[in-house]
Amino acid sequence: MSFLDILHLALRNLRQAKLRATLTTMGVIVGVAVIVTMVSFGLGLQGNMLERFKALDFFNEIQVYGRGLSNLAGLDRPARRDDGRREPSARGNRTPTRILDEAGIKEIAAINGVAYVEPSVNFTVYVRSNDKLLSQFVGGANIPNASTRFQNFAAGRMISSPTADEAVVSERFVRDYGYDKPADAIGKTIELLAPASDKSNDAQKEQEEETPNFFGIPLDDPGIDESAPDVETRSFRIAGVLAAEVREGAGQGGMRGMMPSAGIYIPLPTAHDWATRHRGPMSQVALALARRGGNLGEGQSEGYELAVVRVADPVHLAEVRQKLSDLGFGSFSIVDELDEIRTVFLIIDSVLGLLGGISLLVASFGIANTMIMSILERTREIGIMKAIGAEDREIKLIFFVEAAVIGVTGGVVGVLVAWGISALANRLAYRFVLKPQGASFIDFFDLPLYLTVGAILFALLISIAAALYPASRAARIDPVRALRHD
Amino acid sequence: MSAILAAQEVFKIYQMGTNSVTALDNVSLEIGEREFVAIQGTSGSGKSTLLNMLGGLDHPTKGEVHFASKPLGPFTKKEMARYRRFSVGMIFQNFNLIPTMSARENVALALAFGGLRGQQRRARSSELLARVGLGDRLEHKPSELSGGEQQRVAIARALANNPKVLLADEPTGNLDSTRAHELLGLLREMVNQDGLTILMVTHDHELANSFADRIVFMKDGKVVL
Ligand SMILES: Nc1ncnc2c1ncn2[C@@H]1O[C@H](COP(=O)(O)OP(=O)(O)OP(=O)(O)O)[C@@H](O)[C@H]1O
Ligand SMILES: [Mg+2]
Repeated sequence: MSFLDILHLALRNLRQAKLRATLTTMGVIVGVAVIVTMVSFGLGLQGNMLERFKALDFFNEIQVYGRGLSNLAGLDRPARRDDGRREPSARGNRTPTRILDEAGIKEIAAINGVAYVEPSVNFTVYVRSNDKLLSQFVGGANIPNASTRFQNFAAGRMISSPTADEAVVSERFVRDYGYDKPADAIGKTIELLAPASDKSNDAQKEQEEETPNFFGIPLDDPGIDESAPDVETRSFRIAGVLAAEVREGAGQGGMRGMMPSAGIYIPLPTAHDWATRHRGPMSQVALALARRGGNLGEGQSEGYELAVVRVADPVHLAEVRQKLSDLGFGSFSIVDELDEIRTVFLIIDSVLGLLGGISLLVASFGIANTMIMSILERTREIGIMKAIGAEDREIKLIFFVEAAVIGVTGGVVGVLVAWGISALANRLAYRFVLKPQGASFIDFFDLPLYLTVGAILFALLISIAAALYPASRAARIDPVRALRHD
Repeated sequence: MSAILAAQEVFKIYQMGTNSVTALDNVSLEIGEREFVAIQGTSGSGKSTLLNMLGGLDHPTKGEVHFASKPLGPFTKKEMARYRRFSVGMIFQNFNLIPTMSARENVALALAFGGLRGQQRRARSSELLARVGLGDRLEHKPSELSGGEQQRVAIARALANNPKVLLADEPTGNLDSTRAHELLGLLREMVNQDGLTILMVTHDHELANSFADRIVFMKDGKVVL
């Protein structure tokens, strides 16, 4: 008997119990639809997140750090609040042996595969503009700058030279300082306020402490006077306003790449100069201790706390990190976290897949049940077939093919249903969640071919497994017994 | 005259709890090639049981069945299926047609097991049904056919794969005497012209006398000449 004949008989059997076959197939459809929807949602979640990371330069930027000031000062590290999850060995070089100074920056820039390296300098300061005084986070920027952070301007352009007294501000800054629109801020002045530089400041303080005393009794308390002459200001002209990040999906706003984002950017040398001149008290103590302990020579620069290295291609990330560690610097990249993120997603996907798997398992019981019912009904027919020469193998095959037809039909329809569900969910999410927020359409699902084919094959496999017992039972039917009764 | 089908000291004992039924009690029988043998016997004498043994549907409790001098005992399940498919054709007491299939489909199913395909299968099933006089009932379901017509579909199916031997269990049971004569005439013709060997159970002594070469009598599971 040819396979076509077997298929024909199987289809005929299914047709004869149409309702039962349909209901059984429904079970498979639901199972497959659940599996595919769940897993494709998990994959979509992962894909969207990684895509976003990539768009935000998290994959081709590395944070580099040298021996920081606190380390040079001999500061002890507090006992790590370690949950035992991360073993330090897997996380690259965490103990830098070198100060990240200008020479180090040059060496890093020379590493093969490094597109550029940009030291990170930032500080919080009071800033006056448009007659408003607010606390701002200021960052230094290499000029010229190839970073993706400085590609989109809402108005104006990038700072023209490393020595220019120009600044680039965020769109948020523009709002906070009450400018109507980004273009209005261009050309306006911002003033950074700080105490007068170290020496004069100290001298003034000593004087102050002398003056109001009279035989140890303070004569008057001048209080804090903002307009007092010991406040130093520095002015910058706003050259450009950065366009705000489009809000899209997870991780909205916030960081871009490994460089901390700031509200105001000024040329790097200017920022570095400012940061070292107006260091906070803790930093002052650390510097003093470092110099006294001999870890930092007199006149030797403490270098930068942090720099961001951009690799030309994420493929080179590991090599570059190795070179950085060879040079004696520590480094950090998101890719470390990526493996953990991937593991988490694998678990999520597995759990989602398992849920679907369970519903498919339930469906398989339905298939077995249907098959057994059908055998009971068709005992006589099977007996006749055996009496006229059907082999056991052929009888079994009829049942396997029946189950396979149910499995494949259920699988294909299930995938289509899952596809419909994801399309509908995407539409609804866009219509009711994303669009009101002004975000663009996101495909939350990822339905790769392997998932489609895999789900159908899985349904087929489960169905055939469900038919194992019924088929062998059908093959065991004794024709004499089956034919005796009327 | 060499025996094509032979039973040798065959016993069939059905165990029913504590008591047993001896359906066949030391039956020995030889049927020669191109012979038309009739079996007569009272109800429950073991005629159908014997036919099942000879047709390879069941194994004797003791004794052996030989086909063309080969014992069936050592046959594998698959060889047994092949034997039923190609060597013997069976007509059952109650036809045993598949009720959801048309006359043609019932015959074609046997042809399908025999490996015939497509156009050939269609042609052969039509030809077989025409031979038993049902050329105009091809697409009728068993329920749409009379008892005699169903019986003839069963004959057509039994002959589908050109068996050497036809085992017929009361093929004339449901027929009036005219129809019964017609049918046995047809079977006789098949023996004479096509070289078929027939073993037929019948209650009708007159019919057996006029068409069969030889009559075997059975009683209480034994052959009594
Ligand atoms: N599977 C079985 N289990 C128990 N007893 C059986 C079985 N099959 C047949 N028998 C018994 O064996 C005996 C012979 O039965 P069989 O069907 O061969 O008789 P028969 O000669 O064909 O009768 P009839 O003319 O009524 O068809 C009967 O007594 C019957 O009850
Ligand atoms: Mg009988």
